[in-house]
Amino acid sequence: MAHDPAAALGPAVPVPVREPAWPLSRSAIGLWMTQGAISAVVWALLTVVFLSVVPASVGGPVPLLRWLVPVLVGVYAVVAIGIRPFVRYRVHRWEVTGEAVHALTGWLNRTWTLVPISRIQTVDVNRGVLQQVFGLASVAVLTASSQGTVHVPHLEADVAERVADDLARRAEAVRDEAT
Amino acid sequence: MHTVTFRQARQFVPLAIPLGAAIGFDGVGTVLVLVVVVTLLSLATAALSWSRFSYVDGPGSVVVTRGLLARSVRTVPTDRVRGVEVEAPALHRLFGLVRVRIDAAAGAVAGDREELVVDGVTRAEGDRLRTAVLARGQAAVRADPEAPAAEPEEEIARFDPRWLRYAPLVGSYLAVPLAAVGALFRLADELPEGVRPAVDGPDLADVRVLAVAVVLGLLLLAVGSVAGAAVVNWRFRLVRRGGSLVAVRGLLTRRHTELEIDRIRGGTLSEGLGMRWVRAARTTALVTGLGQATRRGQLLPLGPEPEARALLHRLVDDPGPLLRHPPAARRRRIGRAITGGLLVTGAGALATWLLGWWWLLAAGVLLTVLGVPLGLGRYASLGHRAGPRSFTVRSGWLVREQAVLQRRAVVGWQVRQSLFQRRTGLATVVACVGAGSGGYAAVDMAADEVAAFTEAASGPWAAALRPPQR
Repeated sequence: MAHDPAAALGPAVPVPVREPAWPLSRSAIGLWMTQGAISAVVWALLTVVFLSVVPASVGGPVPLLRWLVPVLVGVYAVVAIGIRPFVRYRVHRWEVTGEAVHALTGWLNRTWTLVPISRIQTVDVNRGVLQQVFGLASVAVLTASSQGTVHVPHLEADVAERVADDLARRAEAVRDEAT
Repeated sequence: MHTVTFRQARQFVPLAIPLGAAIGFDGVGTVLVLVVVVTLLSLATAALSWSRFSYVDGPGSVVVTRGLLARSVRTVPTDRVRGVEVEAPALHRLFGLVRVRIDAAAGAVAGDREELVVDGVTRAEGDRLRTAVLARGQAAVRADPEAPAAEPEEEIARFDPRWLRYAPLVGSYLAVPLAAVGALFRLADELPEGVRPAVDGPDLADVRVLAVAVVLGLLLLAVGSVAGAAVVNWRFRLVRRGGSLVAVRGLLTRRHTELEIDRIRGGTLSEGLGMRWVRAARTTALVTGLGQATRRGQLLPLGPEPEARALLHRLVDDPGPLLRHPPAARRRRIGRAITGGLLVTGAGALATWLLGWWWLLAAGVLLTVLGVPLGLGRYASLGHRAGPRSFTVRSGWLVREQAVLQRRAVVGWQVRQSLFQRRTGLATVVACVGAGSGGYAAVDMAADEVAAFTEAASGPWAAALRPPQR
């Protein structure tokens, strides 16, 4: 138990562990906005279909839904394009320290994952279609445990490549006997 | 090249009889024809797959070739072999045969454990294969020339028949008689009307009859679970032979499981609710590469808690008594345990007001009240401790599981904090381990102790989690 007198003066919410230092690529915001826009367009099309197929004369909750659904879709579009990408950018962080890979995700429920380089088994680099458009790539660091996987989404492609190479090389050099 | 003496065909004969019987009851002739046809067919397939199956254990790998039309060749390097199990089901024993299962290391991605099965070799050949594969695997890893040829055995544990009396309180053994009763009922349902014995259903309205039925049922359940536990654990022995732990057990199917001590990263001590009443426990070893095959890792299937704990601490150092979690963790456990009850109470209040259904409200209040001891019980299970060379975490109420792990077992840490945990200064820490279930959690520990615990329980690399000094 750390009896830190300064803790009483600090925020009422102690951070359990350190936050990783580095943010994702700023292009990730553009990618998330694009994803938000695509899903908003899909919802808008579905709404148009709904408005044109179901007339208000059906009765019941339909007249209410005819104006509620477009409003909800509009709110969703604003959140998905204008707010969520920026929140996501702020809550994802990562770092490669001298001995470990560290990542933080999640907004309300936060998850830190730390994997020592000596226990890395595989490093995967993935590039989706949209990621290629934005010049991004995701890195996944796998260990022998199904729960001990570090996912770092949306880094610049060359950064991801370099990190993966570097981690694989260092893991090879310091690998120990434990699986 | 060893070709398997594959007499599996004979297994199909007794299978064919009930199969034929189930298909046609309209004449003895049909049944006979069916029995003959099915038996011939199964004999033919068994003979074919026998002739197409072969295995070789070379110096560097085990190769299994099989397949009727599409040939499949599976090669497993011996240094990836994690364990070998020799089992002798009842029919195999009749013919002096055994089945050998070879466990290979699973890949990095969670998936199926790779397993080779060589079925139907003679006992001597099975033992030869087991020692050959394991000896070569260990030689490849350690290159240890001074290992004695005939290694002495040291008995570590032996099943005491008196421990069978714990069986009625263990969930998995209770399931044995229940499954048997279920199968009996299905059989009775499928019998044609005329064959079914005409027994009048007992008059359940009579309290005495009901009481006798309940007592009889409970007795049967207890006897059945004891019998089930006896069949599975008959003459259980755990011995240490050289660098391996060997467990032998079973009445009808005799199992012979071998685990490499080098691959053991820790163990778990699990105690179900009923087992805790009588202070019984079960010890399981956590072996890298074995994945979720917990049955293979069982070192003491059922026994008194002190015995199980002593066995666990032979595998891993005792990290010391558990540290309790802060009072906020108790509030959180109780809060979570009564949430369901409160929801039902709320719905019940609404229902009472709108429809006049008071029973839903009563049920909700009862659930809420029962949630308090449940939450307290769950809190009492929580604990963690980091010792000099090992650490431990414990959680669970229905089945309380304490995992004791070596420091080197940790391949990563996961720290989780929900919104509620953040507000109350708690966090859940999962030790990621390449054995067992893959992760063992210290639920709701004090957030400011997380960094110290992870560093003490793994190594200096975990210092990356230490929060900045304020």
